[in-house]
Amino acid sequence: MDFGFTEEQERLRKKVREFFQEELPEDYDWGGGAETAEEGQAFMRELQKKTAKQGYLTSGWPKEYDGMGLGYVEQGIVDEEFGYAGISWPSQLGLHLAAPAVFLFGTEEQKKKFIPPLARGEAVWFEAFTEPEAGSDEANQQTRAVQDGDYFILNGQKTFISGIYKPDFLYTLARTADTVPKHRGISLFLIPADLPGITYRALPSMGGGTQNDIFFDNVKVHKEYLLGELNRGFYHAMATFEFERTGTAFPGRVKRGLEEFIQFCKEEKRNGKPLIEDPEVRKLLAEMAVEAEIWKLMAWKAVWWFGNREELGPMPFDLSGMCNKQLTTAQSEKMSKILGIYGQLRQGSKWAKHEGRVERGWRSTRSLHAAGTLEIYKYVIARRGLGLPRIPAKLNAVIAQALDEKK
Amino acid sequence: MDYLLSEEQEKLKETACQFLEKECPETVIRETREEDQGYSPQLWSKIADLKWLGLVFPEKYEGTDRSLLDLAVLYEEMGRVIFPSPHLSTVVLCGLTILSAGSEEQKAELLPRIAKGDLILALALAEPESSWDGNAWDAQGITVQAAADGDHYVINGTKLFVHDAHVADYVLCAARTKDSGQPEHGITLFLVDTKSPGVECTLLNTTAYDKPGEVVFNQVEVPKENIVGEVNKGWGPLARVLQIGAVMLCAQMVGSSQKALELAVDHAKTRIQFDMPIGINQYIQGHCIDVLWYTETSRWLTYQAAWKLSEELPCDMEVAMAKAWTSEAHEKACWHAHQVLAGVGYTSQKGVMTLYSMKGKTLQHYLGDTSFHLNKVAHEVEKWTAPEKPRGKPLGYWDIPAEEQIPAWEPWQELRKGKKTW
Repeated sequence: MDFGFTEEQERLRKKVREFFQEELPEDYDWGGGAETAEEGQAFMRELQKKTAKQGYLTSGWPKEYDGMGLGYVEQGIVDEEFGYAGISWPSQLGLHLAAPAVFLFGTEEQKKKFIPPLARGEAVWFEAFTEPEAGSDEANQQTRAVQDGDYFILNGQKTFISGIYKPDFLYTLARTADTVPKHRGISLFLIPADLPGITYRALPSMGGGTQNDIFFDNVKVHKEYLLGELNRGFYHAMATFEFERTGTAFPGRVKRGLEEFIQFCKEEKRNGKPLIEDPEVRKLLAEMAVEAEIWKLMAWKAVWWFGNREELGPMPFDLSGMCNKQLTTAQSEKMSKILGIYGQLRQGSKWAKHEGRVERGWRSTRSLHAAGTLEIYKYVIARRGLGLPRIPAKLNAVIAQALDEKK
Repeated sequence: MDYLLSEEQEKLKETACQFLEKECPETVIRETREEDQGYSPQLWSKIADLKWLGLVFPEKYEGTDRSLLDLAVLYEEMGRVIFPSPHLSTVVLCGLTILSAGSEEQKAELLPRIAKGDLILALALAEPESSWDGNAWDAQGITVQAAADGDHYVINGTKLFVHDAHVADYVLCAARTKDSGQPEHGITLFLVDTKSPGVECTLLNTTAYDKPGEVVFNQVEVPKENIVGEVNKGWGPLARVLQIGAVMLCAQMVGSSQKALELAVDHAKTRIQFDMPIGINQYIQGHCIDVLWYTETSRWLTYQAAWKLSEELPCDMEVAMAKAWTSEAHEKACWHAHQVLAGVGYTSQKGVMTLYSMKGKTLQHYLGDTSFHLNKVAHEVEKWTAPEKPRGKPLGYWDIPAEEQIPAWEPWQELRKGKKTW
């Protein structure tokens, strides 16, 4: 067992940290929100390209695809640092979901088409999986893709698709066959986001981001945009979900948030005394530090496992995802508790404490359902990790029939 | 970075698991707790044969020179079966103190005897006042006085929660020999023969039926050669040993939570109610996952602290975090397991889960509970500073009226109408 990093890895961490320190402006508002303004978006796109030039954006990718050819641990270090700097990449989903999927299931042509723009930090991807009837039940895809010569014709609707940047590509699922069970008739598509027939409707979310509806109205998709095997899309998607659920960026960001908040508690006075001298505040800060440490350990364990596993497939006990769901909420609540009545004041109020970050953070932790709710994580761990029984398919069928009859 | 146990550690874990499952079933635990000794001398000599008593001692003292991480692996297995033994008192709390602070003669005389299983020691630290105050495991909590008198010292005072004192040959007593204003300075460690006149040990009755003692020192004379380490400078070595002890308690709790997890999941899969295994219910699954969550999070905090101790890296924060979290987590893990096991879990004559739950109370408080260690964490995080840059004002987002807060989306609508291209 060894929780340490090699000297070389520490050097990489230092270089990456310095790079971000150098590149971010004095008044950069770490921790989200900045990129929601147009000005912020433009800045972030430029920074992403600059980072790509250094190689840090794709440090874990093979050299022939413009990566640095480093290992998972090095990739984890870079991720932790960009999280620590408070950055979120416009092409996050492309880098962490679409790219691994293309590497795993794509043809040589597809790799040549999709990978270089991502490596240059240019292409923005949306993961368009969720539908009104297919949230966590991904197999229940209603969007249809009907083959017509060299093309597939797509019709349907996606919903709750997160993303604040204009996308270049969509990474999406559609039904290509009516099969029992449902998940054997689904295919995975990589679609240019501006094909005729695709329309978008955006809704701001409580946490400051945006959730989109995407409508496909007779969208003609060339068959070269089908990823992997026809009708095996569900399996491909499941295989790549684990790339979405592991990462060191989030704990890095949380650590930074806590450091900033502790600094604030040292500077802010209540009844003439710094906040940090209050025993109750100290206790909450210590608890948050413990949670941040747990999170870091769980994330690194997942990264380590990822680089050392023998075959593709979900880790039986990946608790790092549960940390994301469970501990962010706990942290924001504790910070809010420390601020008391001031915890509700939004950024911009002259009375807001800590620039209103706590209020914003609290709100954003109410909208953490991307990649599945906490309950879905628990359900997956219960079945895959602990081998607990599931409701038999037969019983499900009986329930479905009863519901039908009721209609 | 490597999140696996080494081959040697795996082997140690396996051997320990097999031995303990065979030699220490539930019946043995129940029998042992009925007896006054509180441990089984036969098992004690068996684990001496397995070299568990000298595991972390150097070879020249009949030890096997293994690391503290190895010891943690062993403690995890001991926790898994609630192995009743004075191992922590003898080997860790006293043995390691003697190893780090003792004179060459003391080491050569005492350590091999410990390793062979011929000697039992107990650490007398907590006091009535300080244990109520929560400072029991810190230097400022030590008020029992030892006064120099010719070629010996005279100790007076009461120590509480002294585990294994009733069976110990010697009690290692931390006493104050000087009041200098600095609590860490002025503490001296005395090896007191329990048969000395004036030493009186009474057993305390606890939830877990383990038998910590109240040790009263009434004009107890201790020869100067029984001082371990330097006069007035006993806190330094003791502080580190207390950290090691705390991490070993964590490892024990991790093993215990692991067992709770196994019991709960097994029960959830096999107990049939309403014609189905109860584990099909998501409430039950939720409880099982909570046990898993508390077990795994405690495990990695503990391993990290044990690894840092082994590598002699600075780890005040990691140790405090591990004990703070694990103390609480173990109790919660047991609680959730109880919810799954229901009646099977709490019948005190039959349910094995009760043993884990009750033992938890001792482990939770011994060598510092959650608030004690959270205080230490707070002390450490206070030193954190945020990088000066970047820490600025928002980039204007919040100046935008709410209805216009998604400007990036507008062009898309226009694009559809052919007004813009991209």
